[in-house]
Amino acid sequence: MKLLNSKLLNIKPLNTQLLLIGLSLSTSSFALKALDDASLSGVQGQAGLTIEQSQLLNIGSLTYTDDGNDLSIEGLRFSSQTNVDEVASRTYIMDVSEDGTLRVQSDIKPTQMHIDGIRINNSAASFGDFTLNYEAVTNFNIKGMAGGGLEGSFTVGISNADMIWKTNGHSMSFDNIGYNASVDNFTFEYDAIDNSKGFIRTGLDIGMDNFDFSFSTGALSLAGVSLGELAGDLALSANAQIFAGGRYGDEGLTFHSQVSILSDTDNYVRFTDYDSVGEGNDLFMGDFSGSVNLTNLTLDVESDHLAIGFDQMDGSFKAGTILIGDSSKPIGSIELEFLLSDYIDAGNSANNRYNRFQLYPGIRQPDFAAMPDQIKSYAESFYFDQTPTSEGLSLATQWNLTNAELSYIDDGRLVVFSGIQSFGSANTTIDVRDKKIAIGISDLKGSYSIDGLRVGNKTAPLQGGAELLLSLEVYQAMDFDIDGFTEITAGGASGGGIRIDGDYFFSNSNIGLSIDENGEGIWATGVNYDIHLRDITFDVEGDGLKINRGEQWSTMDITNLRWGNKETGTSLGRVKLERFEKNSLLAIMPGGAGQVCVGGSLNAAGDGCSGVGRFEDRGEQGMTVSLKAAFANAGTTTDGTAIARNRLTWENNRTENSPGEYINDTGTQIIFDNYSTNDGTGTTDSNDYGLQANLNIDVFETKVLKKSTGTDANGVAGNLGDELIYDSSARDSYVYIASPDAAQKTLRPLGFAVQGNVSFKELNIDAVQLKHPNVATPQTVFYGVVMQNLDLTTNLTATPIQ
Amino acid sequence: MKKIIMNVFALIYFPCVIALEPLAEDELKNILGQGGVYLTGDITINETGGPLNNAADASNPAVWQKNCTTASTDKRCGARIAVNAGDGVNSGWLVLDNIRGRFSFEGMTLKTRTINSGFDDDGNGTSDGAAFNGDVLEIGLPNTIKYTNVSYTLANSSTARPTDVGFNQTDIFNVKIDGDISLQGNLLLFPTGNP
Repeated sequence: MKLLNSKLLNIKPLNTQLLLIGLSLSTSSFALKALDDASLSGVQGQAGLTIEQSQLLNIGSLTYTDDGNDLSIEGLRFSSQTNVDEVASRTYIMDVSEDGTLRVQSDIKPTQMHIDGIRINNSAASFGDFTLNYEAVTNFNIKGMAGGGLEGSFTVGISNADMIWKTNGHSMSFDNIGYNASVDNFTFEYDAIDNSKGFIRTGLDIGMDNFDFSFSTGALSLAGVSLGELAGDLALSANAQIFAGGRYGDEGLTFHSQVSILSDTDNYVRFTDYDSVGEGNDLFMGDFSGSVNLTNLTLDVESDHLAIGFDQMDGSFKAGTILIGDSSKPIGSIELEFLLSDYIDAGNSANNRYNRFQLYPGIRQPDFAAMPDQIKSYAESFYFDQTPTSEGLSLATQWNLTNAELSYIDDGRLVVFSGIQSFGSANTTIDVRDKKIAIGISDLKGSYSIDGLRVGNKTAPLQGGAELLLSLEVYQAMDFDIDGFTEITAGGASGGGIRIDGDYFFSNSNIGLSIDENGEGIWATGVNYDIHLRDITFDVEGDGLKINRGEQWSTMDITNLRWGNKETGTSLGRVKLERFEKNSLLAIMPGGAGQVCVGGSLNAAGDGCSGVGRFEDRGEQGMTVSLKAAFANAGTTTDGTAIARNRLTWENNRTENSPGEYINDTGTQIIFDNYSTNDGTGTTDSNDYGLQANLNIDVFETKVLKKSTGTDANGVAGNLGDELIYDSSARDSYVYIASPDAAQKTLRPLGFAVQGNVSFKELNIDAVQLKHPNVATPQTVFYGVVMQNLDLTTNLTATPIQ
Repeated sequence: MKKIIMNVFALIYFPCVIALEPLAEDELKNILGQGGVYLTGDITINETGGPLNNAADASNPAVWQKNCTTASTDKRCGARIAVNAGDGVNSGWLVLDNIRGRFSFEGMTLKTRTINSGFDDDGNGTSDGAAFNGDVLEIGLPNTIKYTNVSYTLANSSTARPTDVGFNQTDIFNVKIDGDISLQGNLLLFPTGNP
């Protein structure tokens, strides 16, 4: 949503610019009507000037040239919305007030702005065509400043607007856009100084005080089906400096900006997903504040692309209220601090990392011959209908996230995902096809890592626990090389929402399953991960976010499961996990565990333990992650492209090809073959229940007992069984207490409290087998394992060891 | 299976590793907190039965539909594992039936660490730890685990499921455990041999 906000912000100045172009260029394109005497006498009696304009504007090509490279906007047209050959009308009222302020009011009747295509140096392909239907009312007040420059205020109201992007005859649109904005005071001054290019240059300094805007739109719509509705309200103060000259050559543009999101409880962004009967459910983030600073954002037109880049972007963001579906259950609040910055290694330029984007017109297809066999045929099929002249957008991206700290606050208790870092590069294509958006990503190479968690406050010691993200299939660290091809259609399981089909392949990747900030722990290395998703739907429902996974099959082949370092750690051998699921489900819901009795059972009233146990009220906030994995019996996939099954293979004692390099399928294997779930009477039964796992996640105080008498590593003395209690809410010193009172119990260490439940009706394993390398067929150890009727509940809290 | 592994990791496995590099004094305090994770809580199996016991779910076979409370003794209220260790269709099944109970503990620790010193059990100055010089997953056992209403039945069965045609089961013995057991020391897990 934040990205979309940025897009809207970016669109507005462009829109204004185009309107100004329309004003300035249109004077020779249409005739002013001569006023009769009666009309003239009326004008003389007024304080200002009224201009009524009827406009039909056609510009064959509008070109911006940067260091000899042309960015051409072809077929630019302003016309009526109903007939492109008819005029659109607008009215301007201008007057000057006593303090010298020029006031300009405009009333723009329904107008269509259309662009046939945008090309770079007459490229064979274009970015596609764009249409903007809109009507607007604006009010600008401008006057001179004492020291030079301009200042003023403005309000803009845009209504009944649609924005349409079309490639190769297929379109996507944002419908019913409404946009209202006001700025209490803006300034334009030509006094900004910059020396980032090694010489002094002067530029335009723009300031905006209390820039308040609201918007609403039907979110992305494909073939008349909308993903939902997007709305928001935001108040900003911003400064920007603009200079001539970009990053490359002599010409281009450079920007610096400083944006402050004003702390305002009315700030919000909301996505609404409407179900089949028109009832809406919201994803809501409100009570925003924060800031974003951008240094050296540059725009250059190069020989075949538009180059955008920045040296540094840093900022912070806080959302005080987050709702998923149920408006009565906030899941807590989040805070994000981030720094994206270029990194230059003076000793080895190969290690340099940048934040750059190159936008190419048309679809640049990847090199199929260089692709791994596992994904090549899917890639060729994905681009089968694309030609060198196909319209669309191609992106070459580099990024370097130097550091980010993501905090989650649950009932006032804080946990920080600390030390998030990432860098990499990717090639991406985006185009619109029949009722779908096609996104192809190739050579997505890079790395990310999360140092660990900090619990209680932002300077608390690092601890483990980021492994909790594994339940969402988010790993703690990864070095990746990914090719992936995705098609998105509008409409989830019911009504709006998103539907995804995709094929992805991870080549020779390293995955940190449980590691510390030094990269030590348990690693899956040399991983080839082949994933195929069909009919995956995302919907916001009354009780949370639901992701239905219609069909999914994959093979994760881990060359080495290592203890210690990802390169030199001792290997447990090869692990190969094949997976085949139909109608699995992932749901993220508001609310944690609530009232819990650890070590006993809750009483009927739910306000204490029934007998033994320790009662904990973990509050209203928190989060519940609910998984249903419906493991399917072995068989052919619905599209007929593969035979899939669930199978786990562990292999070791492999032949060593070279030191540290082992040849797969040359060792001894133990195989858990064709495991699947069903509803209780065998593999011919239905599979509606699957294997269900629910995690209720809270941040809560934990009872930590001393494990031996004496002093601990921090020199604090205590007896076996004493409780660790902090001295104050600062949680920077502690003592051991045999029997803490109620007040002291509130100063117990904070931890990640997880109430987990795993259940299934039946989990069936067809065979457990052993395979010696000298035999072709595995030998069966167990001719079947049938596990039934399990309901396993855990109440665990994890805290760092002191 | 991946989901199972992930969830088991997520629920019970939070190791960290002590840094190997020399540390400045002001860094030492932070590193002490990264030595691993302290786990406290409980694990409960079929406290009020399992999903097949839900009588409101019409898809559940009648033989499984039971009213399972914490006090109920019906063997269908527990979890069940049947293993065919014979030659397939012609052999019977070894069954662990009616698995229920709660295990409570405070003070289980989990961490990965490098062992490159110590373990001079003979007292002769020879460090087995230095010779080992590798990474381990260390499970620090809680001093006490409390068993509450823990039970299971070992049996032989003619078929895998109580719903299968010709089902006939012979119970060998029943076990029920209440009380505390002592588990002290550390459990070290590490890869060995040729991968």
